[in-house]
Amino acid sequence: MSSMKKDWWKWLGVFILTLVILIGLLVPLNPGITNVSPSNATSGTTISVSANGYNTFFTSAKNIRAWLKLAGDHALAAKSQEIISDNEIIFTFDLPSYLPVDQLYAETALVIDSDIDGAFVRPFALSINQKEVNVELGEQAWSSDKITDLSQTNHFRYPFRNILVETIRNTYFHVPLWFGMILLFLGSTIHSIQFLRKPNELSDQKAVGFVSTGVLFGILGLVTGAIWAKFTWGAFWSWDVKQNMSAICMLIYAAYFVLRQSMTDQDRRARVSAVYNLFAFMAMIPLLFVIPRLTESLHPGNGGNPALGGEDLDNTMRMIFYPAIIGWTLLGVWMAQLKWRTMRIESRLRE
Amino acid sequence: MKKRLFGLAAFLLCTLPLMAQGSTDDFFRSTGKLYVVVAAILAMFLGIVIYLYNLDRKIKNLEKQIKNE
Amino acid sequence: MNSILVLLHKEFTLEFRQKYAIGGVFLYVFSTVFIVYSAFIQIPTTVWNVQFWLIILFAAVNAFLKSFVSENSDKQLYLYQLVSPLAVIISKLIYNLLILLMITGLAFLTLVLLAGNPVRDAGLFFLTSIVGAAGISIAFTFIAAIASKGNNQATLMAILGFPVIIPILLTIMKLSANALGLIQDTAILSDLGILLGLDALLLSLTLLLFPFLWKD
Repeated sequence: MSSMKKDWWKWLGVFILTLVILIGLLVPLNPGITNVSPSNATSGTTISVSANGYNTFFTSAKNIRAWLKLAGDHALAAKSQEIISDNEIIFTFDLPSYLPVDQLYAETALVIDSDIDGAFVRPFALSINQKEVNVELGEQAWSSDKITDLSQTNHFRYPFRNILVETIRNTYFHVPLWFGMILLFLGSTIHSIQFLRKPNELSDQKAVGFVSTGVLFGILGLVTGAIWAKFTWGAFWSWDVKQNMSAICMLIYAAYFVLRQSMTDQDRRARVSAVYNLFAFMAMIPLLFVIPRLTESLHPGNGGNPALGGEDLDNTMRMIFYPAIIGWTLLGVWMAQLKWRTMRIESRLRE
Repeated sequence: MKKRLFGLAAFLLCTLPLMAQGSTDDFFRSTGKLYVVVAAILAMFLGIVIYLYNLDRKIKNLEKQIKNE
Repeated sequence: MNSILVLLHKEFTLEFRQKYAIGGVFLYVFSTVFIVYSAFIQIPTTVWNVQFWLIILFAAVNAFLKSFVSENSDKQLYLYQLVSPLAVIISKLIYNLLILLMITGLAFLTLVLLAGNPVRDAGLFFLTSIVGAAGISIAFTFIAAIASKGNNQATLMAILGFPVIIPILLTIMKLSANALGLIQDTAILSDLGILLGLDALLLSLTLLLFPFLWKD
């Protein structure tokens, strides 16, 4: 029973992770539009636009409305609609002769509003060409329809993003691994500092345990990232700056183990590897946080953007993302503890 | 215990329709790329298992040492 | 302060007594440039940039490898009783920086002699070379100190050093590509700031951690 009490954090970690996996996988995405065809149209014609919905329920909706939306307040409502299935619908638009822009073409977004699914948008759905420019007539034609009274739905759902779609759930599995890794390395660094202040075998063993699970998390972060990248960016390895820096970071910590192997004297090994561990942690910080911000990256939160802000992580996702970090970190600490306890027994046996 | 297991199985069965919510030929919701998430979770699971297996081997060695003493 | 000067003096007299060591580094610079030159005949500016920094990088590894190895343990014990570890590391840092600046100058002269001078912005190039050489020398001095505690110093130095040096090297290469007119970039000042920041970080870590390595 007492061990049960002392190990509460392990059970907490497992509990959180179970919830994260279940809720992370079972909560559906918001409805969205995966495909719109055709993607080109000419002004002054009547066009039928077919839209493929994702997680939509067109057949059971009582009221569906659709607009083509231009920049500014310009919109054009659909004239009629034909529901093919829950996931397919065809809208007919009477395109006016002129566009409200002084160019020969304009990109429009398709906005669909249904009383069951709520409102959702496909940006750059249809590009419209015109033969000549007449902004005034275009303004008139595109101003009569207004996008108003959008349906509000209050479901607990994850956001729909075009290329990501369901892979947005990887936010709970790929991203927390990195946060967990940094926290584990931080734990290891703290134990190394403790060792340097007051040399003792346990601090050294704890530092090794934390580094080994940190490296495991880092490798898993690289692997899960590569899988995710393959299906969203097109390649397992895109030589993205954050990918490169994370790989280098793994090399820095792999060198920690090489360094330990190269020394036979116990005291010296513990001291030198504690010094290197501190050095490695400090070298890792600019690698992961400073350099990626300087260059272009495919990752969100680089090139001057705030990390994980606004569009990339909405409030619903935060509710699962932050516990996920805690859960994965607790699991990592548990695994680190198993490692150092084994090392402790090993060194006792050697004596 | 048996009742609990039964409950768990029933719960898992209930979740299956959720996974197959789309059309029937949409294996693992491939239009939504859910298989990417499944692959990532499997990769993590595999990594953790390999780590534990290595630790297990080390502990086995220690047990052997204890036996020999 | 006095002990730092004495140690510096010792380093230089030792170095010039064993002329083959420093001569070896110079020979290394010359032969690398010569080989690349004969392979390419006309060296493009992009290759010039990469080659210049790679020569400096590997020359630094070669030159610094023995900074702590040559101190055998008896002498170390004697030194330890005489001076503070801070004096030891500061004298090593100054000495290594001077050596690396000499190597940088030599590599530059040799490359200019054999492959022409593509530098457009001399001021930026000079600044990058000095700040970059400082970063490389600090990082490798500390890594050499750590590696000297292990069994296989040369391998350890490479394994420990290269991952640490990559961020510095990437920033240097970007800056010097700017100086050579290869890319147009507006973020030069922030890149220089990053480089200086890395230098400062490495320097403070080295000064802080070296005393723990030194007592044996």
